[in-house]
Amino acid sequence: MLRFVLARLSQSAITLLLFSVVIFGLARATGDPLTLVLPMVATEEDFANARRYLGLDRPLYAQYVTFVGRAATGDFGTSIRSRRPVVELLRERLPNSLALAAFSMAVSLLIAFPLGVLAAVRRGTALDSGAKVLATLGQSLPTFWVGIVLIEVVAGRLQWLPAGGSGSLAHYILPGFTLGWFVVAGLMRLLRSAMLEVLDAEYVTTARAKGASEVSVVWRHALRNALIPVVTFAGVYFAILVTSAIVVETVFAWPGMGRLAYEAITGRDFPVIQAVVLVTAAIVVTVNFAVDLLYAVIDPRIGLAS
Amino acid sequence: MRATTALLLLLLTATEATGAAAPPAGELTVALSSFANEVLDPALGGHGVKFYLALMFDYLIGVTPDGRLSPELGIATAWEVSPDHRRWTFTLRRDVHFHNGDPLTSADVRFSILRAIGPRSTTGYAGVLRALLDRIETPAPDRVVIVTREPTLVIPPYLSRALATEGMILPKRYIESVGDDEFARKPIGSGPYRFVEQVTGSHVRLAAVPHHWRIGTPRYQTVTFRVIPEESTRMAMVRRGEVDIADVSRDRVREMEQAGFPVRYRDNDSLLHLWWILPWDRTPVRDRRVREALNLAIDRREIAATIFGGKAEPAAIPFGLTWAFRDVKLTVPDEWRYPFDPARARALLAEAGYRDGFPITIFAYQLPALPEGREMAEALAGYWQKIGVRPTLVPVDYPAFRKQWVDRTAPGAVGYYNLPNRDWIGTYTLLDKFAHTPSRPTDTVADPEIDRMLDAILTTTDRTKINELMRQAFARLRRDHDGIPLVYLHTPYVTSKRISRWDPGSVMLDLNIDGLVAER
Repeated sequence: MLRFVLARLSQSAITLLLFSVVIFGLARATGDPLTLVLPMVATEEDFANARRYLGLDRPLYAQYVTFVGRAATGDFGTSIRSRRPVVELLRERLPNSLALAAFSMAVSLLIAFPLGVLAAVRRGTALDSGAKVLATLGQSLPTFWVGIVLIEVVAGRLQWLPAGGSGSLAHYILPGFTLGWFVVAGLMRLLRSAMLEVLDAEYVTTARAKGASEVSVVWRHALRNALIPVVTFAGVYFAILVTSAIVVETVFAWPGMGRLAYEAITGRDFPVIQAVVLVTAAIVVTVNFAVDLLYAVIDPRIGLAS
Repeated sequence: MRATTALLLLLLTATEATGAAAPPAGELTVALSSFANEVLDPALGGHGVKFYLALMFDYLIGVTPDGRLSPELGIATAWEVSPDHRRWTFTLRRDVHFHNGDPLTSADVRFSILRAIGPRSTTGYAGVLRALLDRIETPAPDRVVIVTREPTLVIPPYLSRALATEGMILPKRYIESVGDDEFARKPIGSGPYRFVEQVTGSHVRLAAVPHHWRIGTPRYQTVTFRVIPEESTRMAMVRRGEVDIADVSRDRVREMEQAGFPVRYRDNDSLLHLWWILPWDRTPVRDRRVREALNLAIDRREIAATIFGGKAEPAAIPFGLTWAFRDVKLTVPDEWRYPFDPARARALLAEAGYRDGFPITIFAYQLPALPEGREMAEALAGYWQKIGVRPTLVPVDYPAFRKQWVDRTAPGAVGYYNLPNRDWIGTYTLLDKFAHTPSRPTDTVADPEIDRMLDAILTTTDRTKINELMRQAFARLRRDHDGIPLVYLHTPYVTSKRISRWDPGSVMLDLNIDGLVAER
C-alpha cells in the first residue's frame, strides 16, 4: 500500500512540475503584461522601472527557478496588476468559488435525483420526455447565454433576485442555477441510465416477488445500487465547478477563482495565471489521487502493486 | 400629531439656524465595467484609478469640476514662483489630518512627490517631473519649496487633480512604519472618505469621515465602487436600485432612458484618434496628400451617427483634445473640419501617384470604453476601399498592436486609441509621448518643428507664449494631417432615480464624485 501511495505521489509531483513548465512558457508567450498595467503615456523609463521592480528583467530560466522554488513553499509571487501577493488573492477568491460550487452542486442533486429516478421509473411517459428535453437544453445552451437571460428577465425586468455580486443567500440563486443546470443534465441522464439498468436486475425482480412495495424497490433497493457511478461523477463535477466557472463568475460579477483567472488572462498577469492554473491542476491531481486510492481500497482487484 | 409636527418644525428650524448638516447616511454605489489595475497605492495606479483614490486622498493642488486649478480645493492654499521660475513655493492648509490622526505637513508633501517619481512609481506621468525636479525643501510645516533644474510653469498643473496621481499627498510616517506593501493593502489618506475594504475583482468600500474641509459633512456614510464587467448585470442592478451610477454602452442608453433612468454624459470624454506606425518614409503615407486623402475619405458624421449611436461628434485636429483648447484659447476654424469628400480624396491620391491605390494594414481591436473598436475599424476599411485603397484588417488585441507600434515592425499600418480628454498640461504630456521624436518609441509624428515647439513649452515661463506654442503645434499637426482625428466620444452614465443632480465634470478620468457626496 505504501509503495502504491508513494508511486502515485511521485507521479502527481512530476505532473505538476511539467505543468509548471508549460504554464510558465505559455503565460509569457502571450505578450508583455506591462502594456496593460501602465498608462498609455508611460515612458520607456516607467516600463524599465516596473520590469526591474517586478523581476521581469531577469533571464527566463532565473524567473522560472524562482517561481518553482517559491511555489513549492506556497508563495506564488506578487500580482503584476494589483501588486498584491497572489496567495492573498487566492485566499480571497477560492472560498467564494467553493461556496458557489457547493450551492450549485446541492441544487443540481436536489433536482437531478428525483427527476432521474422518476424518468427511469416512468420510462416513455411525458415526464421522461420532459426530463430529456431539460437535460438536452442544460447541456447544449451556453452558460453565458443562460446567465444573461436570467439576469435580464429575473433580475432586471421582474426584479426578483440580485443580478450580480456576492453577499446574501439570494446572490447565489441565479449563478448557482446557471452553473448547476449543466450538471443537472449530466447527473440526471446518468442516474436515469443507471436506474434503468438496475431496475432490470434480478435482485430487483426478487424484491418485487417478495412483495416489497414499489416505493421501497425503487428508492431503497434500486437507487442505492445506481448511486455508485453517480457519486463518482458528482465528485468529478464538483472539482470542475470550482475550477472552471470563468464565464458564470464573470457574468454574475462573482468574486471567485474563475473571475480571477479571467482578469489575469486578459491582463496577462503571469504570476496569477500560473498560480490559478497550478492550483487548479493540484485540485484535479489530488482528486484523481484520492479516487485512485479509494478504488484501490474498495476493490482489491485493482492491483495496488500495478 | 400636532405635537409631532411642531417638534419636527422645531428641529428643522434649529438645524437651519445652526447651519448643521445632517450626518452622513446611506450608501452610494458606483458600478463600473473596469477598475483598470485596481490598485490602492497612488504610486502604482496612474490616472486609471483616480476616480476612487481621489476620495481617499487630497491633492497638493485642487481643481474645480471644470478643470481649473483652485486654491480652495487642494492642500496648497497659495503658490508663487520666483522671478527665475525655478523655485515654486506652496503654502499648505493647516489642521489637515490623515485618517490615522497624523497631521499633514510639508514633510508628507516632499515624501509623496519623491515617492511618485521614485523607482516604485508606475504612474505614467512621472517622467517629466523626474527630468525637471532638482530638490524639494521644507522650510516650515506649512511651506514647501520645489526647485527645478530649468525654469518652468508646469509644476502646479502637474501636481494637480487635473492630471494623474503624482499630486496626491500620502502619509510619510505611516508608510515608513508599515512599509510600501502594507500601505498598498491598507492605504491611509486625508480625503473625505477613508479606506474600509477591497476585494479585488469585486469592490472597494470607503467610509465617510465626520467632516472634511473639502466637501463639508459627507452626504453618504459609505461609498462603494463595484466592478461589474457584464453590462446586462450592471443595468439590472440599476433597475433593482442596487447601484446609483453605472457606465452604460452608447447603444443601451435609449433603453435605460425609456425605463425612466436619467443618463448623464461626459461630453467629449475622449478623442478617437488614429495614427500611422512610424517610420513612414518608405510608405505612401509619407506624402501629405495621401494623409489628407485618407482623412477626406471618411464620413465622420455617419460614423458618429451609426457606430456611436449619435453620442459622438466629428473631430478636426490630430490630438486635438478640446479641454485644452479653452486653456490655450484656441477656436477651431471651420476650414479645419474635414468634409466627407471621396472625389477630392481620389484626386489627391492620383496626384500623389497612387491612382490605383495602395495596400494598407488596419489593426482592429477593442479598448476599455471602446467596445465599438472593431466595428469602427471595419467602417474605416470600407471608406478607404471606396477611394481605391486596399485595406487589410488584422484583428489583434491591444497589447499585440502596441508591440508592433513601439517595435516599429509595421510601418504605415494604422492603430487607434480613445485618448481621454484633458486640459493643456495633460495634452502637453500626451503630445510629448505621441508627437515628440526624442520620446521614441511611442512617437507617431516625425516633425522636428513640432519637437522644437514641445521642447520650448516645458521651459517657457510666459503663459501667453505657451498658449501660442500650443496653438501653433495644433495648427501644424492639422496642416500636415499628422494622424486621423475621427470623433469625440461622449461617455454615458446611467444613474438611479434618487440621484437628482450630478455633474460628472470635465477633468481627465475623474467622475467628480465629490460633487455627489459634498454637503448641500
